Amino acid sequence: MGIIYVLGILIIGALAAFFVDDLNRKWTGPVAMLAGFGAAAAFAFLPGGIVRWRILGFSMHWETDALAGFFAWIVLGLSALALMYSVKYMEGKARQGYFYASFLTSVAGMFGVAVSKDLLSFFIFWEIMTWTSFLLAIYNAYYGVETKGIKYIIFSAIGAYAMLTAIVLALGQYHSLEFSDLMAAGAFRFSSGNWYIPVLLLLGFAVKAAVLPLHVWAPAVYPKTPMSFTAVFSGAMSKMGILGMLLILTGIFRSATGWELTLVRWVLGWLGGLTAAWATLQAIRQNDAKDLLAWSSVAQLGYIVTAVSTGTRLGLMAALYLALLHAAFKGSLFMVAGAVEKQAGTTDFRRISGLIKRMPWTFLTALIAIISLAGIPPLGGFVGKWLLYESLISETHAYFLVILIFFASTSAFLYSYRFLFGLFLGQEEEEAKQITEVSWWMLIPMLALSAVSVVTGMYPGLIFRPAARALESIGLPAGQWDMSILSNVWGNQTDVFTVGSTVGILFVLWALFITFKGKKNTRWLTTKEISTSGEIPAPEDNFTFQRGFFQPFERAVGRLYRSSMDQLWEDIGAALEAFFGFIRKIYTGNAQTYAMYVIIFVVLLILFRNYIF
Amino acid sequence: MTGNWLIELTGIVLTALLAFTVGMFYGGLRRKVIARAQNRVGPPVYQNFLDLLKLQGKTTNVTHGLMTHLAPVWVLVAAITALLFIPVLHGGLWFPNFTFKGDLIFLLYLMVMGSLGMALGVGETGNPNGAIGVSRGLSLITGYEIPFVLSLVAIMIQFHTTSLTDLMHYQQATGHWIARENPFAFLAALFSVLGMFHYSPFDIIGAPAELASGPMSEFGGKYLGSLMTGGSIFAFVKLVLITDLFLGGAGHPDAYTGAAGVLLGLVELVIKTFLLYMIPVSIGIVMPRFRTEQAVRFFWRWPLLFGALGIIWAVFWK
Repeated sequence: MGIIYVLGILIIGALAAFFVDDLNRKWTGPVAMLAGFGAAAAFAFLPGGIVRWRILGFSMHWETDALAGFFAWIVLGLSALALMYSVKYMEGKARQGYFYASFLTSVAGMFGVAVSKDLLSFFIFWEIMTWTSFLLAIYNAYYGVETKGIKYIIFSAIGAYAMLTAIVLALGQYHSLEFSDLMAAGAFRFSSGNWYIPVLLLLGFAVKAAVLPLHVWAPAVYPKTPMSFTAVFSGAMSKMGILGMLLILTGIFRSATGWELTLVRWVLGWLGGLTAAWATLQAIRQNDAKDLLAWSSVAQLGYIVTAVSTGTRLGLMAALYLALLHAAFKGSLFMVAGAVEKQAGTTDFRRISGLIKRMPWTFLTALIAIISLAGIPPLGGFVGKWLLYESLISETHAYFLVILIFFASTSAFLYSYRFLFGLFLGQEEEEAKQITEVSWWMLIPMLALSAVSVVTGMYPGLIFRPAARALESIGLPAGQWDMSILSNVWGNQTDVFTVGSTVGILFVLWALFITFKGKKNTRWLTTKEISTSGEIPAPEDNFTFQRGFFQPFERAVGRLYRSSMDQLWEDIGAALEAFFGFIRKIYTGNAQTYAMYVIIFVVLLILFRNYIF
Repeated sequence: MTGNWLIELTGIVLTALLAFTVGMFYGGLRRKVIARAQNRVGPPVYQNFLDLLKLQGKTTNVTHGLMTHLAPVWVLVAAITALLFIPVLHGGLWFPNFTFKGDLIFLLYLMVMGSLGMALGVGETGNPNGAIGVSRGLSLITGYEIPFVLSLVAIMIQFHTTSLTDLMHYQQATGHWIARENPFAFLAALFSVLGMFHYSPFDIIGAPAELASGPMSEFGGKYLGSLMTGGSIFAFVKLVLITDLFLGGAGHPDAYTGAAGVLLGLVELVIKTFLLYMIPVSIGIVMPRFRTEQAVRFFWRWPLLFGALGIIWAVFWK
């Protein structure tokens, strides 16, 4: 019955937040936060169980098996922390009842998606999650921000129609919507004759996971949404697309060989790789921290999609591991962006710099999250990268795909550095002197999410084990996983515990040495006291290099930057408009023309009656 | 990691000392070679040691903040950690350290850790020249890492291992260097080495005439000293890595035993790494500097092609 309690707490919390807002605005946030933590606690302490019920002749089936549990933890854990962060972040903002009610309903939707074991309830929860997130995406329109929510809802609608079509077709063909029935009947196989069912479903999931070329909504919408929700939007909601892909492709993965698996590996794998590379290149040229993170989210989802497409032991583990880690580090990075936005008023790199001394704890979170994102040992992100590379090299032999992924993740160093440098490093602005650190209500969730990266850097087994159980629960081989030794199919190992402790010990030793050697004569200067050809910057001068930061790189990449995926969709839109403009001409408003249509139709029917009936 | 921890610790310290000494001497040799090529006398070979002593002896040091303060630490830690995971001599006779605990993918990522830590420190100084240097350096990484990864992937799939130790075993057992078994991969890796050393024509990061030594410009005294130490160790690490990968490594468990064997192995290592080191050095003497985008594009052309050929070679090998 745990499922009912979790959903109940979230829905009641949403209603309570909505009505409390009218009574006393101060309590809206805390009520929502309580609901968030309450739901997480209910999920942790109550047995999940199985819920089955029938409505209008359809049976609903919710169950918390290991896979549902894994994704439910991403959703509930991240959401609870984001809600805690939100209390102070949203302080003083208008329409908080609307915000928190949508937030909690959205969390309920995501949780529902995770526990659904039939396509119908999956779809219903999916739509709840989409619509409430749309409401949140347009929240800032109240403040006159151009929210681009329309892009999101159009792409989501495309995905939803695709899924709905697939559901109707599946019901017509197999007379059941249970995942297990459909799986047993082979409904999700391309070879079943109904190849369009998995293709349409995957299309719906690809929209949510922002796979090229359906990604254009994500970089437009993420930066405009309140950051406390964007953390969940990018961290948890996009993972629902990954969960969907896993559920659909399981049947193909289990077969282990055959052309279907090859097809998935080639098409989905390369789409993921291209998404990663393209989005990384776009992230590099952004001048706003929020835009940069939005593109980076698309890129990271690209890695996860590629990892899913392998269908192998290491690859699927990489997918689940990265899904959780991405929720942790991207969640905290969006929170960092929100913190800077709240304190400094902007996240534009060209307008602020040198916040490290003003917001040291925020910087620490950002640093840990960025190191993890870039995949530098000894933090958790490295493990995910390692698994992905090893699976592509040693298991699926996708040699050129691995190069593409590697290109993406090497280029990711560029935007990773830009994020830290742009906001926190460089010379301080005079006006920035009064900026202070954010409240502990915001810092604790950020630091808690960073802790995930730090702990998994040395003990990735903490994630491997639940993830392995999750894979086994859908009948995929997961095998044995050690607490901190990674090994590939050739038996080569990397012991991240040894790595972590070596780096840690050496770092502490040398840091002590460099600190205490000549400590008395070490002067700590300001960022204005620099050696620039003997010229001392005046207080109002700021020499921080921000404009066109990666211009040489952009020049090296060259032509690629001139094309844009948005342009493609605009062209498609224009073509469709022209096409429908033509169709519209059929309706002339003249009764005689309509009479002619009827006659033509009847004539056609008579002519082709043998073929139609 | 077998046996007594005291012996292991001694091994680690000895390895680091060896890398430091050899790296520093190579740096001095480079200065000497460049000077002779330019018809100067040049500084003595041990000049780098003198420089280091002077830097560490400085009484006044300045820094701009915590990240700047810790930047040299990152460089040094990355260099020493990488050193500990690379087999310096073959066969685990001496200096085995942690070589069985990390594979090539791990090393690849570990090797950028120092640069990124350094980049953060440079960013905090507020010196625009430093930031420009970082922007150039990061761009350059995306250039030379790609052919390097292509060549690594090529040899990984050719020999079905991602372990450096296994690759050395293969070369010792068969007597064939991987440079011979997959010449294209070797070529691609050699090109990447040119980029890794940041010598001319790829000396865009520190470019003295343009950026006033770029990232280094705010570091002095003990900080510059630590950077120099880290840099020297890292230079040795890069050379040993390429030697182990393509040139058969050094030392042989059967041929060289005992202290004399270790010494012979070290001599072999020094000869191989020195010859390898002279490639970027001598190219640096005659080549002028690239612009950043030229440098990046250089790596995306011929070296990339060689790397791709290396992979194709590896697939059709045997």
